[in-house]
Amino acid sequence: MMRKDIVVVAMVACGLTITGAITGTSARAEDVFQDRIAPILERRCIGCHNDREREGDFSLQSAKAAFDDGHIVPGEPAGSHLLDLITPQNGKAEMPKDAEALSVEEIQLIRDWIRDGAKWPADLRLEVAKVSDFDWWSYQPLKRPPVPVLNDAWANMTIDRFVLAKLNEKGLTPSPPADRRTLIRRLTYDLIGLPPTPEEVAAFAADTDPKAYEKLVQRLLKSERYGEHWARHWLDVAKYADSCGYDKDKLRPNAWPYRDYVIRSLNEDKPYSRFVQEQIAGDVLFPNDPDGIVGLGFIAAGPWDFIGHVEVSEAKIDGKVARNLDRDDMVSGAFNTFCSLTVQCARCHNHKFDPITQENYYGLQAVFSAVDRANRPFDADHQTARRRAELTGQLTALTAARQVIEDEITAAGGKELADATAAVVKLENSLTPSRPPEHGYHSQIASAQEVEKWVEVELPSETTIDRVVLHPCSDDFNGIGDGFGFPVRFKVEVVDQSGTRTLIRDQTEQDFANPGISEVACDVPQQKALRVRVTATKLASRANDYIFALAELRIFANGMNVAAGAAVKAADSIEAPIRWSMQNLVDGKWPRAGEPDAIEQLAAAKQKRDSLYQELASAPSQGSSVSRQDRIQSYSAQITKLESQLNELPRQASVYAAATNFPAQGNFKPTGGKPRDVFVLSRGEVTMPGSLAVPGVIPLSSDVPWQFSPELDEGQRRAKLAEWLVDHDNPFVWRSIVNRVWQYHFGEGIVATPNDFGRMGALPTHPELLDWLAVEFRDGGQSLKELHRMIVTSNTYQQSSADNPMNTAIDGGNQFLWRANRKRLSAEELRDSILTVSGAMNFEMGGPGYYLFALEKTGHSPHFEYHKFDPADKASHRRSIYRFIARSQPNPYMMTLDCADSSQSTPRRNETLTSLQALALLNNNFNLVMAEQFAARLERDNEELESQVRQAMALVTQRPANETEVEELVAYAETHGLPNLCRLLFNLSEFLFVD
Amino acid sequence: MNHRRNFLTHCGAGFGALALNAMLHNEADAANDGASDGVVQVLHHPAKAKRVVQLFMGGAASHIDLWDHKPMLEKHHGQASDFGEKVETFQDGLGPWMQSPFKFAPYGESGKMLSEVVAPLGEHVDDIAFIHNMVGKSGVHSQATYLQATGFQLPGFPGMGSWISYGLGSMNDNLPTFVVLPDHRGFASNGPKNWGSAFLPASAQGTAIFPQRDNPIEDLAAQASFVTRAGDSDGLSLLNRMNRRYQQEREGDSRLEARIRSYELAAAMQLSAPEALDISGESQATMKMYGLDRIGATYPAEINPAEEAEYFGRKCLIARRLLERGVRFVQIWSGNDNGFPRRNWDSHENIQRDHGPLARGMAVGIAALLKDLKQRGMLEDTIVLWTTEFGRMPSSQGGTGRDHNPYVFTNWLCGGGIQGGVTHGASDQWGYKPLDRSNPTQVYDIHATILHQLGIDHKRLTVRHNGIDRRLTDVHGHVIQEILS
Repeated sequence: MMRKDIVVVAMVACGLTITGAITGTSARAEDVFQDRIAPILERRCIGCHNDREREGDFSLQSAKAAFDDGHIVPGEPAGSHLLDLITPQNGKAEMPKDAEALSVEEIQLIRDWIRDGAKWPADLRLEVAKVSDFDWWSYQPLKRPPVPVLNDAWANMTIDRFVLAKLNEKGLTPSPPADRRTLIRRLTYDLIGLPPTPEEVAAFAADTDPKAYEKLVQRLLKSERYGEHWARHWLDVAKYADSCGYDKDKLRPNAWPYRDYVIRSLNEDKPYSRFVQEQIAGDVLFPNDPDGIVGLGFIAAGPWDFIGHVEVSEAKIDGKVARNLDRDDMVSGAFNTFCSLTVQCARCHNHKFDPITQENYYGLQAVFSAVDRANRPFDADHQTARRRAELTGQLTALTAARQVIEDEITAAGGKELADATAAVVKLENSLTPSRPPEHGYHSQIASAQEVEKWVEVELPSETTIDRVVLHPCSDDFNGIGDGFGFPVRFKVEVVDQSGTRTLIRDQTEQDFANPGISEVACDVPQQKALRVRVTATKLASRANDYIFALAELRIFANGMNVAAGAAVKAADSIEAPIRWSMQNLVDGKWPRAGEPDAIEQLAAAKQKRDSLYQELASAPSQGSSVSRQDRIQSYSAQITKLESQLNELPRQASVYAAATNFPAQGNFKPTGGKPRDVFVLSRGEVTMPGSLAVPGVIPLSSDVPWQFSPELDEGQRRAKLAEWLVDHDNPFVWRSIVNRVWQYHFGEGIVATPNDFGRMGALPTHPELLDWLAVEFRDGGQSLKELHRMIVTSNTYQQSSADNPMNTAIDGGNQFLWRANRKRLSAEELRDSILTVSGAMNFEMGGPGYYLFALEKTGHSPHFEYHKFDPADKASHRRSIYRFIARSQPNPYMMTLDCADSSQSTPRRNETLTSLQALALLNNNFNLVMAEQFAARLERDNEELESQVRQAMALVTQRPANETEVEELVAYAETHGLPNLCRLLFNLSEFLFVD
Repeated sequence: MNHRRNFLTHCGAGFGALALNAMLHNEADAANDGASDGVVQVLHHPAKAKRVVQLFMGGAASHIDLWDHKPMLEKHHGQASDFGEKVETFQDGLGPWMQSPFKFAPYGESGKMLSEVVAPLGEHVDDIAFIHNMVGKSGVHSQATYLQATGFQLPGFPGMGSWISYGLGSMNDNLPTFVVLPDHRGFASNGPKNWGSAFLPASAQGTAIFPQRDNPIEDLAAQASFVTRAGDSDGLSLLNRMNRRYQQEREGDSRLEARIRSYELAAAMQLSAPEALDISGESQATMKMYGLDRIGATYPAEINPAEEAEYFGRKCLIARRLLERGVRFVQIWSGNDNGFPRRNWDSHENIQRDHGPLARGMAVGIAALLKDLKQRGMLEDTIVLWTTEFGRMPSSQGGTGRDHNPYVFTNWLCGGGIQGGVTHGASDQWGYKPLDRSNPTQVYDIHATILHQLGIDHKRLTVRHNGIDRRLTDVHGHVIQEILS
């Protein structure tokens, strides 16, 4: 069951700063206030009753404020209303509101103080209580500790010296080494999460090389299975899932590249500082490296409230709450994971135990204030990424150069041009929109998106045209509205009399953002046209299906729309007048932003502005003989060329990650990189904003600056945080990671609370060892594989897990590591083991998560129907790390086996043994299907039942069956068949536990 | 039904010996009558109740159309609404004041006014304590549902049932401690996360039961052609022997013993659960009382009271059977995910159309459950809580619907030492906010009160998780003394 953590009960008082407090026992009246009364008021009252908030129109911040309103009458306890408020009636006091009452002693102190005249030094202002004591182990600089000197062959390696020194000190003795079969089984599960094969066990047992064990360690660390296994640990902490959680639990089809990134990074043994930086600010620090973007999946890994972001505006209270909590998840994710600090405790009030104030906390929120969770494009290939960066760089430069000329025109145009432009803007703003009932053309409905549909207009005769304009539809069907049916990808072609086809707009390579009801125009100077065809190559989604719709197609020749009333043809169409009809495409009616009159006025105003502009544009630009217009055109041509080169690059992949640019969805809009204002929220309430938070980190001591310049842009803020995290002198980060790794090897961290190194966390059992490992790791290349190697080659790790009553009497919980801890397989290890021994496992790596459920009703709230899934589906016979994790409906089988809940950071899993677990292992369809496959494998590999039984036991337990077992199992299989035997073996304690 | 009975004889007998073993164990435990395997080994104070039923109306049930009569709305029906302050609602549903489409009438000695659609509960009002000044923190379904179910607006916290299971443990190892009966048409907001154990042990999680499925409890029975009764019987005793040998070679590891016992308990559950869920032996009168007298009827496509009564009534009847057999906590959900056509309480469009049938169905089931518990002498130590994520606005939305109202809503409690026939806390004349805005009731108070009745001080049932001593009531909560008898 739940292990009882070793917890240090922090002395609350010792962490509190008392403003102006004087130590000593002076009995002077002022001192009574400073020593005894002020701390109570600061701790229990000032949070609400300060000069700024004045809850109940009452402040206790200074003597003047406190006495002014008469709640305290010096010398008269009976007349002091304050005492009525804080004295409980029927066990409940009015104040402090919605909190525990003051203690009897505290109330008496306040009563006596009032009776004695309520002396309060006039210049003494009270401040909200905060912890400012940095004297805590995890805040201390990391130094390489001296290694204990021991004269004992067992303590060969450094780790063993630290451990043995502690064992000696406690009167404990180390256990003998485990046998080879036990060792290879333990090591294989620990490093790759799978059982060794019987052949591997036999080879290792027979290997006489003194380096046999080291060779085994090296082999396992080189295996790609290693990254798959250890990524699972990381994703537990990061709260990874493939859906958003909360209401509607929308899918995240692009979350998996981050999961694959973690696997890849671990297999590559990426230096830890790089790994950390990529996950906080990889896009800024390593701009051309795809991992710099994919790593940002970390920030987005946790839950996200669709309704709170998409359906509720950021201006509403509920919208603000959703965004505050969303940033809270990012901040706590980063600090719990990398620093093992519970900064989130400071969201509603200063941290009660650690020196982290609300200002610090909201400063961290300010670091993440411009990012949201969304799909973010990236180039999976380095070279493409570099090429894209180059082209984008040139594009930016050329666009800027063009802007210089544009600015020149603006300057030269002076007031006249400015007024003309302002007139256009004003008219645009005055438009009243219209949505005629004749919607337009609507294709038949397709069940797949990548189906081609076309519609075309045939002019009465060949005409020289100069412009083609598409007008999107608007229809509230399924809440879609503007841009209804407008294709995601399309092309526009012109065909002349001779049948020559000219492509005038190619939008088939990249998705086109929903244009709303804005027109989409293609300018085609002097193009001969008989027919104009619009072809949708990727349809718009409607409900759970796809369509192509268009309100109007206009074709201009010399400013006249020649398409009006022309003939319309289409690949297919839904004829449902008056709303939908092919002929609606040329009926002159489309949803528009304003009245035709107003639009005409607007056109006139635009023409005026344009002619002014034209005149100025014809003049030569500064310091040049070339006209402004020609220069602009030259830049534009180059820009167009660059854009098409960009379009030709391989298509970008997408990862669900921290993002500042993405298509808006309802109220969920990108910041474009502009940090949102973050306020220090009194009591964490969005309705009580205090001062503007300044981005920063958390202070490591009272005299080190922790704030960044508020001028830093969003990327720089994250980059600064990333750099701070991996700073050589950061006292948390290196200890945090070595402690996690240690825990996964031993079942218990040196600090038993891996996400909390604060005063509410556990103390290290071996503080020097922790520091030694942290320093060794930090200064030795930050290789996780090297850290594993150091740990697993120690004698400490290789001990037997057998009991020793003498040691148990002293340290029953094995805190000091006098034996190995027997561990139960995790949900993933168990499932992967069943697949492996059954011969069903497919070790294909990466890619979108496979489903272990039937997915229904994705249009609204996806239903994840686990009971409708057939586990014989081969697509699901892959390692469990690759399964699709539905956050709101976790897999019942895996959850019963104590799998991590992806809504909370899980630094260590619970280990339970319940009857529901027994039922799952006996009866779950997965186990039943695998029992049959296991049986089939045994029959394939062996003729005789006895050999089948022997092989089964070897695969499941990695040891030969003894004769009693063979006899019993053969007898059972003879009567009830091999599948029943296999089903039984999946339930052996020996299969589930690792010695 | 047939299938289930087959299952009972088919599998049950196979597990006979093991199951018997576990059941004997249980009888010994039952004699202790109390916190056998919970962390609260000694109750903090004498308990008034042992069991809890939580009735959760997903989608937000309207207080002013069911329990909280507002004559002012009748008087000002159709007039422009004026709240006297700026109001934010989820979908800006601030149309004219709208009276309830349902008529209200007084019931019981207390004369409590109830809506006609919950009239079947009229006979119980003198056993019920209504709380009309509940306030929430968010008008977003998901966060609000989390708040009422777990005490936190965020995912990742254990539900009330999990805390109580963790604290008090089981009264009957043959059945799960905490059972959830979801709306079989789909989960309300957040789905199973509302009853997950989060950072508590998995044994504290709610076990969802779908009585209509082949396997009403996940993995209760094996569904494979090669599985036979004899094979299971022999298999389990062989497994038992092998696991026992493994355990005997490894002294001092109680987990290995616990595993062996978990198979005994599993076998017992296989025997007990189908029996607990089998309502075929219930009398005609009981079936009628629960609205289950027309099983097998075909229903129209539109939402209708008879169909709703059958669905909800069945869950209530099963709840009674589970409670009788020692299940500690039963959570029943009414209302699926917030989709269309509405089969949940989120009546933005039409209160009459959707609240009407849902409420009648709900009221039939609950009235039967209360009556049944009472006549069996169980109501006195079973607390029944009726709740929802928030209320609905007194103004109209689109003429016939109502928008979300997180500012005030209703809960009621019954049984388990709760005083009946009382109303605690009032909403204002419109049902917009609490009458006394500075003293509302919050979910923490409800949770604190329920724990109190179970003999637990809500401040003392804590678990340290990631640096914080977590508890069901966060840092809040007062026992509502006024409604205790």
